[in-house]
Amino acid sequence: MTTLEIKDLGVHLGAREVLRNLNLTIPSGSFAALLGPSGCGKTTLLRTIAGLVRPSSGAIRFGKQLVSVSSLVLPPHKRNIGYLPQEGGLFPHLSVGENVGFALSKSISDLDRKSVIEEMLELVGLTGYTARKPHQLSGGQQTRVALARALAIRPAIVLLDEPFSNLDHALRAELSGEVVSLLKKSKTTSLMVTHDREDALVSADLIALMRDGHVVQSGTPEGVYMDPVSADIAESTGDILELPARRLMKKRAKLLSPLHLVSGETSGEIEAGSILIRPEEIRVHEKKAGLPTAKITQINYYGHDAVLELALPGYSKEIKVRVTGPVQFEVGKTVSLEHFGPIRWVSKNPTGE
Amino acid sequence: MTIIGQKNASQANGAKHRGAPSLALIAAGLFTLAAAALPVAYLIRRALQIDSELLRTVLFRAKTLEIFITTISLVLAVVAFATLIGISIAWALSNVDLPGLALLRALVILPVAIPSYVFTYSWLSLGFLPNGFLAAVVVLTLTTTPYVTLAALAAFRRIDGAQLDVAQTLGLNQLESFFRVTFPQIRNAVGAGSLIVALYVLSDFGAVSLLGVDTFTRAIQNTYQGSFDRSSAALLALILVAISSLVIYFEISFRQRSTLLKSSVRITRRLPALRTLKSRAWALSAILLYIFVALLTPLLVLLQRFFSRITPIDLTELLIASLSTISVSLLGALIAMVLAIPVALLAVRETWIGRWSERAVLLVHALPGIVMGLALVSFGSEFPLIYQTTGLLAFAYSILFLARSVGSIRTSFAKVPINLTEIASTLGQTKSRIFYRVTLPLAAPGVLTGTLLVFLSAMKELPATLMLRPTGFETLATEIWNNTAIFRFSEAAPYALLLVAIAAIPTFLISRPDRDSERGELQ
Amino acid sequence: MTNSRLKALISLLSALFLTASLTACAGGENEDASLTIYSGRSQEFIEPFFAAFTEATGIELDVRYGDSAALAAQILEEGDNSPADLFLSQDAGALGAVAGAKLLASLDQSLLERVASNYRAPSKDWVAITGRARVLAYAPDRLAALPTSIDELIAENWKGRLAIAPTNSSFQAFITAMIQTRGEAATETWLRALQKNSPKLYEKNSLIVQAIDAGDVDAGLVNHYYTWEVAEELGREINVKNSFFSPEDLGNLVNVSGAGILRTSKQQSLASELIAFLLSDEEQARFVVDTHEYSIVLPELRPEGLPALNEIKAPRVDLANLSDLKRTQALLIKVGLL
Repeated sequence: MTTLEIKDLGVHLGAREVLRNLNLTIPSGSFAALLGPSGCGKTTLLRTIAGLVRPSSGAIRFGKQLVSVSSLVLPPHKRNIGYLPQEGGLFPHLSVGENVGFALSKSISDLDRKSVIEEMLELVGLTGYTARKPHQLSGGQQTRVALARALAIRPAIVLLDEPFSNLDHALRAELSGEVVSLLKKSKTTSLMVTHDREDALVSADLIALMRDGHVVQSGTPEGVYMDPVSADIAESTGDILELPARRLMKKRAKLLSPLHLVSGETSGEIEAGSILIRPEEIRVHEKKAGLPTAKITQINYYGHDAVLELALPGYSKEIKVRVTGPVQFEVGKTVSLEHFGPIRWVSKNPTGE
Repeated sequence: MTIIGQKNASQANGAKHRGAPSLALIAAGLFTLAAAALPVAYLIRRALQIDSELLRTVLFRAKTLEIFITTISLVLAVVAFATLIGISIAWALSNVDLPGLALLRALVILPVAIPSYVFTYSWLSLGFLPNGFLAAVVVLTLTTTPYVTLAALAAFRRIDGAQLDVAQTLGLNQLESFFRVTFPQIRNAVGAGSLIVALYVLSDFGAVSLLGVDTFTRAIQNTYQGSFDRSSAALLALILVAISSLVIYFEISFRQRSTLLKSSVRITRRLPALRTLKSRAWALSAILLYIFVALLTPLLVLLQRFFSRITPIDLTELLIASLSTISVSLLGALIAMVLAIPVALLAVRETWIGRWSERAVLLVHALPGIVMGLALVSFGSEFPLIYQTTGLLAFAYSILFLARSVGSIRTSFAKVPINLTEIASTLGQTKSRIFYRVTLPLAAPGVLTGTLLVFLSAMKELPATLMLRPTGFETLATEIWNNTAIFRFSEAAPYALLLVAIAAIPTFLISRPDRDSERGELQ
Repeated sequence: MTNSRLKALISLLSALFLTASLTACAGGENEDASLTIYSGRSQEFIEPFFAAFTEATGIELDVRYGDSAALAAQILEEGDNSPADLFLSQDAGALGAVAGAKLLASLDQSLLERVASNYRAPSKDWVAITGRARVLAYAPDRLAALPTSIDELIAENWKGRLAIAPTNSSFQAFITAMIQTRGEAATETWLRALQKNSPKLYEKNSLIVQAIDAGDVDAGLVNHYYTWEVAEELGREINVKNSFFSPEDLGNLVNVSGAGILRTSKQQSLASELIAFLLSDEEQARFVVDTHEYSIVLPELRPEGLPALNEIKAPRVDLANLSDLKRTQALLIKVGLL
């Protein structure tokens, strides 16, 4: 039962500051996903936690144990973690069984070693593969062996760096699900870097969103999805629509945006900003009075749902709206849009960060 | 809980993810550096004994300039031809669909098993070699081409055939795609092979002495033997060392900052194999021609001499000489491996000491055997316990030929993907356990090749062996010399044939592609 | 490589290492009655003599064969630490070099007196064993008039017809003798004239004889026994004969193989015995028959088909001074023959 706690972590690679003032706490036993664009430092963070990169400031704690403070570090081979890098990294000169048993201490008996290896292989669904060589396995099987290898020493913390990225779509979903349930069942504190927004939302207990070497927001999937701190962050977890808006600073604030037409009074203090809307938070109706209209320019049909692209007057770009069920409209039709869901207001001049 | 601190964290993370080398490693590297420096130290000591008048005479006379020009021209000519022929043969073997590929590959490398003096003798006895310099170019080119071929073959294997497909779709013809796509990728490996050729030519004595070509090695030998003036000879040898450092400098600047650190090239397709009858015929004839000239001819001459013998063969002597050769050469090869590994490890990490150890080792490689022999005589005779023992002889071999193994070992260490060593570290392995469990097994094929190269070279070595061997200890090379010195060429033939036969074994092993690492790359 | 294979390899190698190191110390067994010899004379020819010595006296011989000059260089490098007891050299030059470094011991008067005064060192530290005469080897069908003097060889009609081996110690000894008798200036003149006559250069005397036989060159300056040696090797008659110059001509220089005892040797009396053995009448006669050389002790003996030593009328030359090859080499280099 180990909590992963990172405080004010700073990392320099050469002259470049890659991570700055990074704070993140992953409660013991939970599965966390780390989302962010390429180059934001996700892999560096993982490698720093693993001990492969030396930080310049900040502290990392595994439970009660201080693992690194400023540039004093506990070397990686003493940290008792599991690390799955992107390339899997099975040792090509060793068999599957030897790979899995690689980290096991020399002092345990042969019999014990054998049983641990078999147990691990069974855990990942590869019973009987002990004697095979890595080059004889498919990509998915290799990932599973790598996982078995990492888990064989019952690590307190497991770090995964996009481990499913080079698998095909269907396999990715299936394997990801298996792996996550395995880790959750064994109550291992896990941190997974991923590009896949949906996968992260589905599997994680905690989602951390990174930008430019810094964790900007973290929370439950629902929390970060529904309450992103900015449009940019919102993008990490799903499609977002940012509409320019103005609100009237009165006791009852009224909202004016291409989607919200407030007739009448425009006097009083007006604050400019934007609102963030998720595609599923807009409903499409037949042309109705009192609602803003838009013209359908494209329909993307996904089978289980569809995404309509519409031209909204007052807004330069196409907006996307997600609808479920059969699509009742065609391209070119003018429809009415209704905004359901919370008003997420983002001020024009944000105070601080 | 032990914590390891470091002052400048950002520097540690720079680009060298491999981490700082341990003290033991540095000590080992320094030891190798010292061992390699021994002959140079000897030369400097002797050269310092020279009086200034003689110094000026030797350095600035016209003859020295002549020798300088002859030596440089010989090196340039041989390197040029050997590189050209070597790349061509390797290209043909890698890109044309030829029958018996494995056999051809072994046969084109085999000439390396024939010592240059044996080679020269057989060609001389045939009687149609042109004048001295040209003859030397021919002989040395033929015997050293395999070093380039070997390097080029390995380099071709690492090229992704898909790139050539793309090049073709972009409108490049065969020749253009070779120069613009293939060559840049093989130039580093070929450069290393050519470097060995250059240093070999600089140090060769057998061929140039028999053909009367005035190179530094011959001048050094003549000075030792003629005037017993070891100071002048040492001075000439130092000039030789200076030339080899120039050569090494050129190779290093020619070598691009290679991307060897990560084996990131995924071979998605093998190189396309030409199948047209015309290309197959041309390639096959060219290769067969080389094999005939470089391998078959000297062998046939040796065989002819062998069968024209009148006295019966002393089998015991043959057997003893063979066993002696194999045991002392093997010992030398193993010592070389032990000395080379720390240097290679340090060089891969691009540390100061690694770079300089590697360069020192290369420098020593250009020294003729007589210099190495005398240096160790001078050093070893102070210690009667080790003087004229097989141990010291093996040690001499290891320093003489260390350069050949260091290059190969360094490359194979560099090819071990960093992420594997990192993963091993996260799996609880200390640095030394990572080395033994991951790095060394993965680098094993390259380490083996390097060691075999030293083994092979040690078997053929003559001048240092003559001086350092225990009295009464004969190797196949010394037996050959014993007989050819008195012009008993047919007496020498059985020893020469046996030497070539035994040397063929490590040569054959070296010529095979290493399948284990290939598998790793083809994932 | 798996662990078990690695272990097997290591045990095999340790076994090899042990064998190798054991064979190394083979020499150090019979410390009391054994001699270490550095022999510039090749094994093929000298070994029977060594065997006969061992049989007669019971003294074991540890012989290190090599090139005389290389062995001399090695002894010079080893200095006082040299393990050699006796140095047997193929020519006087190498002996002289070692003697010049004061590394040889004085020999017994009895040994020195076995040979004529010009065949032993004035410093009394080495003595000649066999004689090697310089001759003109030639193809009888291509050389009608035999030259009587070396000065004829620089005449125009000899252009391109003569072969020499300038790197060979015996040729250099010949030039040294010329410097001794005629002076440096005259020698340089002779050499320049020779050089202008485009002589064919070879590395070894044996190659010269071979070339004459093959028709590449008409004649060459070599040591007398090479004609015999090459014929033996090729197993047939060769189209080469030996010719001497007129008496006391420099071309008839007789060089010698000789021996010296190392000053640091601990077996000096045994080494003396060996020298005495080699200078004995029986062994000297054997040299003439088996190796086709001249006996220094018995100059009246003649190798097959050749005049006796006392008939050759070699030029009067101080052999000990033949070791100073520095000037000779410098001259040869200056003239462009080296």
